[in-house]
Amino acid sequence: MNKGPLIFLGIFFALAFSWTGVVLTNQIQYGSLTPYYDPNEGKTFPEKPSGLAERGRLVYQDLGCLYCHSQQVRRPGFGADTERGWGERQSVARDYIYERRVFLGTMRTGPDLRNIGARQPSPDWHYLHLFDPQITSPGSIMAPFGFLYEYRAVVGERSPKALKLPVEYAKAHGLERPGYELVPTPRAEALVAYLLSLKDTYQFPEAKPYVPPKKGGAAR
Amino acid sequence: MTADHGSKQPLEQAGASDEQIQNVHAILLREKPEPTEGYSPLPLMLLGLMSALILFSAIYLGRYSGGFDPMVYDERILPGMLEGGAPVVQDPKVIGRRVFANCIACHQTTGLGLPGAYPPLAGSEWAQGPEDRIIRIVLNGISGPITVRSTPFNNTMPAFGPQLRDEQIADVLTYVRSEWGNTAPAVSPDKVKEIRAAVGARSGPWSPDELLKIP
Amino acid sequence: MPDAPSLAASLNPGTPTDSVARAELSEIDASAKWPVLVFLLSSLIWLLIGTAFALISSIKLHTPEFLGSYEWLTFGRARTAHLNSVVYGWSVNVAFAVAFWLMARLSRAMLRHPGLLVVAACFWNLGVTIGVVGILAGDSTSIEWLEIPPYATPLLFVAYALVGVWAVITFRFRRSEHIYVSQWYLLAALFWFPWLYSIAQIMLIFEPARGTVQALVNWWFAHNVLGLWFTPIGLAAAYYFIPKVLGKPIHSYYLSVLGFWSLAIFYNWAGVHHLIGGPVPAWVLSAGIAASLMMVIPVVVTAINHHMTMVGSFGALRSSPTLRFVVFGAMNYTLVSLTGSAMAVRSFNEITHFTHFTVAHAHQGMYAFFTMVMFGAVYYIMPRILLKEWPSATLIRIHFWATAIGIMIYWIGLSIGGWIQGTEMNNANIAFIDVVQHTIPWLFVRSVAGIVITIGHVAFAINVVWMLFARRPAGATAPTLFDSPPATQGALAR
Repeated sequence: MNKGPLIFLGIFFALAFSWTGVVLTNQIQYGSLTPYYDPNEGKTFPEKPSGLAERGRLVYQDLGCLYCHSQQVRRPGFGADTERGWGERQSVARDYIYERRVFLGTMRTGPDLRNIGARQPSPDWHYLHLFDPQITSPGSIMAPFGFLYEYRAVVGERSPKALKLPVEYAKAHGLERPGYELVPTPRAEALVAYLLSLKDTYQFPEAKPYVPPKKGGAAR
Repeated sequence: MTADHGSKQPLEQAGASDEQIQNVHAILLREKPEPTEGYSPLPLMLLGLMSALILFSAIYLGRYSGGFDPMVYDERILPGMLEGGAPVVQDPKVIGRRVFANCIACHQTTGLGLPGAYPPLAGSEWAQGPEDRIIRIVLNGISGPITVRSTPFNNTMPAFGPQLRDEQIADVLTYVRSEWGNTAPAVSPDKVKEIRAAVGARSGPWSPDELLKIP
Repeated sequence: MPDAPSLAASLNPGTPTDSVARAELSEIDASAKWPVLVFLLSSLIWLLIGTAFALISSIKLHTPEFLGSYEWLTFGRARTAHLNSVVYGWSVNVAFAVAFWLMARLSRAMLRHPGLLVVAACFWNLGVTIGVVGILAGDSTSIEWLEIPPYATPLLFVAYALVGVWAVITFRFRRSEHIYVSQWYLLAALFWFPWLYSIAQIMLIFEPARGTVQALVNWWFAHNVLGLWFTPIGLAAAYYFIPKVLGKPIHSYYLSVLGFWSLAIFYNWAGVHHLIGGPVPAWVLSAGIAASLMMVIPVVVTAINHHMTMVGSFGALRSSPTLRFVVFGAMNYTLVSLTGSAMAVRSFNEITHFTHFTVAHAHQGMYAFFTMVMFGAVYYIMPRILLKEWPSATLIRIHFWATAIGIMIYWIGLSIGGWIQGTEMNNANIAFIDVVQHTIPWLFVRSVAGIVITIGHVAFAINVVWMLFARRPAGATAPTLFDSPPATQGALAR
């Protein structure tokens, strides 16, 4: 192996092989998926996220949520994703076509969030959980995101968005000053809107669960 | 290639000092020569290992690639197993759970409601009672004093008839009537359609007394 | 007969060619001094910074309120700052330094235009600094291994362009007929990395692909940074230092060829194993799994090659710091790669995916293999470019034992914790909060391991700085070894 140009050619084709196979082929094969109509819901899915949810996605991105949370449901029988109620079905590529940046994630320090909008549809729960995960989930190792909130004096009426902290908690953390309220900042509101938008509650033909063929009969 | 590349080192001057040369000698002379390669032949067992791996990988790839179809996400699927894009008929309880997201703000995900404010659905005699009543509640809302599980409530529930289809109302009621230990029969979309037509154009919520008159 | 370097000219004309060759090496080392030194010192600073972020992140995982009110240090950002500091800060800088020095020595060509490389170092480190600060400020792209914000990446491109130009020039002017195995790996790595990085930047940031094609590009890129950049450079170093320190040839040229080409062909398909079970076509995952299994070939081949070269000389591990670090690294290369092949198998993956087991595996690769090999290389290179010896054998001892024991505790502890986590996560009867609670003791073990590793890094840093400021000795010096070899063995090069 003493010919420089030959080594170079080999090196080139080695990477070209996988670049073609992994990247280019898939881009061609399914890089232009389009939405699909689900007759059960009477709508086309996936739906484009709202502006607020899109801003929330940027908050998710800048705080690095994907380093603890995945957003992909594995098929029934592979892991326990569907049994844990993390999704009705396996996630497929078409679910992600309107996401400008896909956050599949590779860690489940915390639970999968693909369907968190369906599993936890209450904004109040999310606001409390993000402020201090110990309120809703004692023993959690999730970081507190107090900096997404503001503890401020009430001006005029109390804000309808003010958090309803449990009394004991508020007392223990000095958050019960009269005339004061804990409100989410716009970033928190956007983030919660994003989380609530995460729900793949519709069906696609390619996501149909696999049914093993009956013995003695060929699969049609 | 000339020796002088502009790299500044005192050794380039003619007559480098003895101690500098000695210094360099010491570090260099103790080094072993630059590495070379021996020419031992390949062990035969390696050939066996490689063949086994290639065979296994080829079989694996052949079996678990779903015919290289980009729409196959489950590796167990063999080529040709995916039927054409026939839509799936969803389990009513699944759709019911999805629709119930509209209800959790008051009735909570646990179906226990909020004491003093919103009545529970779990174990509720109203939810498990005549379907003619509860379909009307979902269609037009309900307002006024009501007793659920021996607890009085007095609040207003908004109407959901305009925003939910008949199938969705049927499915969410089916879900409520079989979740949290409830054991009442399912509600069919046809029944919802029938009640919706019977009610016609009604503007306000029902009162509990009105509903109790319906069998 | 190459041009006689000026030093050789000052020697007796009757000097044997062997000495002339060594004199040539000394000139090459001297020409490489500034670029290598600048990259090495930069890498050391990033090692310390990366270690600090590592400790912060590790503590936050079992004690989430630790520094919890500081937005810029939130786990998602601190962990990302750690990864980018140790990958693009420590690892790439030291990789460049070792690669240049090896390339110059093996090409038997002086490092031409060292100024180019020093400029490249400035651009690279400026880019990484701005990148890490940007991440802490909230501009992370949240694309794994590609988090540096787009405003910093042009600086990285300029730096790499300079490096690329330089590498081609040096190789072009090589004076050796034979291209030694380390050079294949170095050339390959230097060529592959910009291709990977450019495609990732284009298809993920500038013209993002639609949907999960992004995930495929992401993991094709990220895994190949490990497999086609860091692994080849680590192997190039191992293939140089093991035979060099021992004064023996590499066992088999044929094994080297087989190992190189099988790595080149198979490794780059394996990256998608990070997505097993995910929303990408099953066929590409199966292809990645098949490739991951085929990787057993180059790994076994390399292990045989290194092992057979070492056979009969394991005693040298008692004295030589370089050899000890490099062999520790090479052994872990075999271990981590075989584990990786196993992790790609679907049934194994069902348990380990999404768990701390993967984190343990990543650290075994980047630290127990790559970083330890680089430490070994640094212990060899520094005396030759500074013409001084390491001031303290004790500090080297502390460095080795602290990092070796530390990373073993890390890898074993977190692998156990991750395995338990995965097994429990697959049992829907165990509440998720309980799964999390059961990982906490192992996360704590990891923090302890991190502290032990930090001690090693501090010892290393002290030794380097001390060496920098020590006066160049007047007379002949002996290498700083773990112990003095018996007189009968003769002088052992470090």
